[in-house]
Amino acid sequence: MKHRITRKEDLNAADYLIEVEASMVAERFLPGNFAVLITVPRGERIPMSIQKAEDGKITMLIKKLGKTSVELDSFEVGDSLEAVIGPMGNSPELKRYGNIVFASDLVCGHAENYALCKALQEIEGNHVTSIQTFPTKADIYPKKELSEAFCDEYYLTTLDGSCGIKGHYTEVLKDLLDEGKVDIIFAGGDIPALRDLAGLTEPYGVPTIVTVRQIMIDATGMCGSCRVFVDGEMKLTCIDGPMFDAHKLNFEDIINRMAMFKEKETRAMEYYNKKILPSVGFT
Amino acid sequence: MAKINKTRVPMREQPAEERIKNFDSVPLGYTDEEAMAEAQRCIQCKDPSCETECPVNMKIRAMIEKVAEGNFEEAFLIAKEDNPIPAISGRVCPQEDQCEGVCTMGKKADAINIGKLGAFLGDWAMQNGVTEELHIEERNEKVAVIGSGPAGISCAVDLRKLGYRVTLFEALHIAGGVLQYGIPAFRLPKDIVDYELSYLQKIGVDLRLNNIVGQNIKFDELRWEFDAIFIGTGAGAPRFLGIEGEKLMGVYSANEFLIRVNLMKAYKFPEYDTPIVCGDSVGVIGAGNVAMDAARCAVRLGAREVYILYRRTKQESPARDEELEHALEEGVIFEELVNPTRVLGSEDGWVTGIEMVRMELGELDDSGRPRPVKIEGGEFTMELDTVVNALGTLPNRLFLDRTPELETTPRGAIKTDEKLMTNVKGVFAGGDAMSGGATVIQALGEGKRAAASIHGYLSGI
Repeated sequence: MKHRITRKEDLNAADYLIEVEASMVAERFLPGNFAVLITVPRGERIPMSIQKAEDGKITMLIKKLGKTSVELDSFEVGDSLEAVIGPMGNSPELKRYGNIVFASDLVCGHAENYALCKALQEIEGNHVTSIQTFPTKADIYPKKELSEAFCDEYYLTTLDGSCGIKGHYTEVLKDLLDEGKVDIIFAGGDIPALRDLAGLTEPYGVPTIVTVRQIMIDATGMCGSCRVFVDGEMKLTCIDGPMFDAHKLNFEDIINRMAMFKEKETRAMEYYNKKILPSVGFT
Repeated sequence: MAKINKTRVPMREQPAEERIKNFDSVPLGYTDEEAMAEAQRCIQCKDPSCETECPVNMKIRAMIEKVAEGNFEEAFLIAKEDNPIPAISGRVCPQEDQCEGVCTMGKKADAINIGKLGAFLGDWAMQNGVTEELHIEERNEKVAVIGSGPAGISCAVDLRKLGYRVTLFEALHIAGGVLQYGIPAFRLPKDIVDYELSYLQKIGVDLRLNNIVGQNIKFDELRWEFDAIFIGTGAGAPRFLGIEGEKLMGVYSANEFLIRVNLMKAYKFPEYDTPIVCGDSVGVIGAGNVAMDAARCAVRLGAREVYILYRRTKQESPARDEELEHALEEGVIFEELVNPTRVLGSEDGWVTGIEMVRMELGELDDSGRPRPVKIEGGEFTMELDTVVNALGTLPNRLFLDRTPELETTPRGAIKTDEKLMTNVKGVFAGGDAMSGGATVIQALGEGKRAAASIHGYLSGI
């Protein structure tokens, strides 16, 4: 079954939004789930964050990072993807947590932030705060794609201070922690920043749940590529995650192994830029 | 009567120095004449033990008789009666432990090359467009088959032939299970797998790709919608040794290594998008078929030195004879009696070597094989830049974690009764998900047995 693109918009110079027909994923989506995309028959299987799911369609936030995301950016409304598979992974329990903070600084993070704020704000007894960080004012997403509409409190930060609060979400969070107003934190995005977040929140004893995106292939628990270590025990991001307790996670390992295919990714990008891609299928 | 040739008609193969540069089939197949000559060596035993040893009890004697006569169509149809995929099983069965191992000819001469004759027939039928004519009497009952690997294929085919409405659920984007993601193309060309699978759709099996039961389809939904369920989810979970250094870059599970190469075609990168990083010196831990597959892939990916690291000796290797021979011909170095204890790495996180300890063989263990025992002071290191763990696999947790109602063994395999029914009524299981890890043909056999049991269950026999 082909998956037609029904909407595609730039979020900033590097990120874009894509809405595709994927009825099975849309019907069964829960906040925190992700999708696996195959853009073309010769394509790789890549995990993507889902921001929302409605009317048989899902919306994903994507960063132009590697060959596949750059190639997908050349697709237009009406074009189709080879496969949109999911929903994958687990969703956190949607219940009353009290004072919840969501923090994010990259596509994978902003999408979950949006989906979780929307779902958890509807539950009575939850006070939802969101902090979204962008590098500069120019990078801030259009307002309707931010989680602000679903929050009791909302903070926008830019690293250079060109808009909103100057600094990273961790800095705003520190103030909230000091005020003692946080019962649980959900966060996603840049992995080194999540490591710093874990270090920040641990002394306060506030549960901190982070979304991890490690390299995946099948995303069904078969290959072990996305293995992470939680309290020393091997877990698979695809079927045990993608959310883990930040205080138990070995971040150094994740950061190290994400570099494994860097050189190949560069080569794929060079190859793509030469535009000599043959149209081949799986044979 | 003409004298019977004691030696097999040799199978033409790509020479080792050529084939290590490609992923094409190593065996080149029999010609019609060669197949007939090989079949004519069969003495047509009164009591063919080859058939009793075959996990699907193929009518091997009759099949070979027809090949000897040059009647390939009839021979193919005989093979197909019990085996839905002869072109595949002929290539991947451990024949030396089954049909060919008990062949009467084998006692004094070469056993008949039953596997290659089976593969010949499957290929011949594909090339000549010959298929069996089926007259299916439709039934109303619906059966769900989970997993499109060997067990699922045989179960689906048999149930469909009986007239059941069969839906085959596959988690990946390509059907075939281990035949696609596990076994490399040089051993099992993928056009053959695709052809055999297209047969399923031709006879009316509803194949649903990207349907991950337990993940995006709840097991309960299937129980609600279908009258019976067969679970053939395989043993797809990766295993690591659990030693220090396995977090390093350059350490793979055999599953990852093979999925990248076979399913995602990383050997054609960057034409295909999925990459693989394979270094110059590769150590594959383990000595089964999967280890041989990974080692031979590494050779083809350009590794200069590829080692099989095994704590026993070649004699105890569970790999098919042919795979071991082919691997050695291709330059794979068999490092016997070594046990890895630590993977060594550089500061930037890449594998640089492996620390091992020399072993010797002691008394027989529960598996009937000599137990490897550590030699005191036998520690040494080997420089490597890629390590592949081929230690066997475990049943897939994704499915089992989400179906707590199914009883499993301590090793995580699904428990069944003698009819292959699980503790849940109407739910059957077979293949590696039940056995924990065996052969393609055993899975085929279990799929067939389960189909017969499901038929009995649904028709009240």
